[in-house]
Formats: sequence, structure tokens, C-alpha cells
Amino acid sequence: MADTIVLALGTRKGLFIAHGSKSRKSFTLHGPFGPGVAVYSALIDTRGRGRIFASSCNAFFGRKVLTSKDMGRKFKETAAAPAFPKDDGRALANIWALETGADKKEILAGVEPASLFRSSDGGDSWEMVEGINNHEHARQWQPGAGGMCMHTIIRDGNRIHLGISTGGHYLSEDGGQSFKAANTGVGAGFVPDPFPEFGQCVHKIVNHPDAPGRLYMQNHGGWAEWDGPGGPRPDIGVLRSDDHGHTWRSIAKGLPTDFGFPLAVHPHDPDTVYVVPLEPMTRTCPGAAPAVWRSENGGDSWSRLTRGFPKKNSFFTVLRDALDIDDRKSPALYLGTTTGQLWIGRDGGEEWECLFDSLPPIHCVKVAAM
Amino acid sequence: MSITLFIPPPLRSECAGATELNVPGASVRDLLAELERRHPALYRNVCHETGSIRRHVNLFVNDDHIRDRQGLDTPLTAGDTVYILPSVSGG
Repeated sequence: MADTIVLALGTRKGLFIAHGSKSRKSFTLHGPFGPGVAVYSALIDTRGRGRIFASSCNAFFGRKVLTSKDMGRKFKETAAAPAFPKDDGRALANIWALETGADKKEILAGVEPASLFRSSDGGDSWEMVEGINNHEHARQWQPGAGGMCMHTIIRDGNRIHLGISTGGHYLSEDGGQSFKAANTGVGAGFVPDPFPEFGQCVHKIVNHPDAPGRLYMQNHGGWAEWDGPGGPRPDIGVLRSDDHGHTWRSIAKGLPTDFGFPLAVHPHDPDTVYVVPLEPMTRTCPGAAPAVWRSENGGDSWSRLTRGFPKKNSFFTVLRDALDIDDRKSPALYLGTTTGQLWIGRDGGEEWECLFDSLPPIHCVKVAAM
Repeated sequence: MSITLFIPPPLRSECAGATELNVPGASVRDLLAELERRHPALYRNVCHETGSIRRHVNLFVNDDHIRDRQGLDTPLTAGDTVYILPSVSGG
């Protein structure tokens, strides 16, 4: 039985690792690894003996993949990072997602410009996934504010779901050989057509192994007051699919705003989902009062979780990968802010406590028991 | 014709700690091509996979930035030193 809770915290100034006991009462911080270099993605791979991977996006010398075989006490660069073929014309700008792949070793990387790479040797060599990288839409995708990134990779048997900003949701049902845009019901507020075939600014997608076909999506909402072409687009920000992402419907009713970045699903209950609504203009929590919102019925209704958070004057921004939940019997959530605070939400988010309050701006938070 | 290539401290781990390398080349482009053959990991820190020099990396031939000469086609002669220097920036 794994008895150490490991947190991988990707920040603007490097990767931090925190180790906690099963009780999760306190955590010991290590790092930064890849000091001074931004980390946008991390993966705690619990297959086999367990490894941790993280991207290290050096603005000077390019993008690297770091890996650790000792639960994050030491890191080294893998032999190579994803790279486009020389004659492709695209150059790697960032690594936004690292996920486990098809077998016991495969690693998948979602990068900027939006593309997918796979490694079958623990990150030492990478091959481009042609079915999405050379998709007929690929050269038409546009960058969002964060860059044109592939930030979400979900492997579900022979299906692969991808989230691209701004490209939308793409689905493969043949193990990654081919992909189709699957955005029926996914709105966009920044183009005249409210529901285009592709090009949506998807922020994050999550699924749950116990609910085949169920997906939740945080899309770029905040268009309820839009008075441009196509008219207002309320409630396009938080969505659910029950057919493997072929169609989507809004579950935003009851939230203070449908804008936000991350999502998390309870490890033991696919009907329990968490979002962090943010004001669309400032991308900070409404009323400067931090809250995580939880639905326990698949998005039909929402409740506000605030116990332990500041009540005022706190302008949290929580980015797309900065919320995660562990798999313990009574799971805890972990939330990182761009103001460098890491919060734990014990008992499924009922009670929040700040674990670390002065880290660099946090890009991503991953948790696993090792 | 061998040229002296200065390696900045952050990149020395990519070439066994060397502060300088001797790399042949009649132009900066030739030198980088040879660098890619001899030290591919070091090369990847200097150039994108497209072959262009990374945005925040500067190459000087002696005292001159290559952008003020002929870019990648800047000719090299025996005794030249090519400096790899990262830009100064951050926050």
C-alpha cells in the first residue's frame, strides 16, 4: 500500500515536490528542480516502480522533460524532448500536458503549438502523433492568451480525448490513428458562429473510470453579456457529455460565473465534480472571496465550499492544471494559485488550509500516493 | 578551419563541462551544422528544430552580433571566436 502522498507543483520558477504522510497533516517541500525555469505540466506515474515527469520550459534554451525515479528527491533531463521534424516548420514552444499512455511505459505529451507526442521509452525519445498534428484543422487553430496549447489528454481504452485552446475537443476512437472534432454543444464567444465545428477555447476536460462516456468540460465561458454578432451566450462554460464527448450540454446553472480553468472529479463518485468559478474579466474569484464549487449530482446543482478560505480581499486565480484530488477514502483536494499559495481541501473540500503560502506562481498541481 | 566556440555556464553540462570547443566551419551556419553532429544536446539548446537560433540566444563573432553581419551566413576565419550568450531578461 502506497504510504506517501506526493505533490508535484509546477511553478514559474521550477518544480517543487511535497511529501506528506497518509494523514496529510503536514507536507515537506523539496526543490525547486529545474530552478528558475517555468514548469507547466507534471505527471506522477504510478505504474511500475513509479516515476515523476515534469516539463521544464526554458525561455532561453528550449523545452526539456525532467524525470525522477526516487519520488522527487532528484531529477534529471530525459535524453530528448518532443520535437517537430526539421521540415515541418513548427517549433516546440511549450509542454502543457504529460499523461500516461496505452501500456505500462507509454507517455503522452501535449505541446504548444498544439500537437501530441508519444514516448515508449520513458521520455528518452518521442514520436509525433500524425493523426492530430497533421489534422486538416491543425493549421487553422488559433492561440488563446496562454498560447496555442494542447493541454488535456485523456486516454480511455482505445479512445483519446484532447483539449486544445483554441481548437476545441478532439476525439480518437482508434487509439490515436485518427481524430475528429467533437464539439457539438460546445460554444465559443469570440467568433460570430456561437457553435462552430472547431476552434473553441476549451480550458480543461476530465473523466471518471466508473462512468464510461461521462466527461466534464470547463470551457471559456463568461459570454452572458455579449452583445456582438450572434448575441449573448450564457452558460457555455461548464459542460457535460454522456456519450464519450460526441455531444455536450451545459451544467453551469447555479454557478456565480461560468468562467474558470480547472475541474476535478471525486475519485470514488463520478457524480461529484469540482470547479473554481472566476470573474471573466479579472480571472479572479468572484467578490475577492475564494471558493470551490461542488456538485454531487453531476452538475444539476452546485454548493459553495469556503470553510478555511479568506472571506475577502483575496484575488485568487487558479489555472487549468492547478487543482487535483487524491484517491484516499476521504479524498483531499489540492489547489494552487498564481499568488503562490497551495491549499488543501480536506474531507472532499469541506475544510481548507493553506499548506504553503509563498511559492512562486503555481501553474500545475498533481497528487498521487506512492 | 577550426573556430573557438565559447560555451556559457548554463550550457556547459551539455558538453562535459567544457568552457570552449573547437568546431570547424567556414560560416556560422557550417559551424552550427557541425555542432549538431558533434554535440546534438548542446545544439538543441541553441537552435530550434527548424534550424533557427532560439529567440533569447545570441551569437557573436568576436565582438559582432551575427545579426549585424550576415546572420547565419556570416563568414568565419581562422582565429575567430564565436560566443553563445543568452539574452539578459527575466522577472
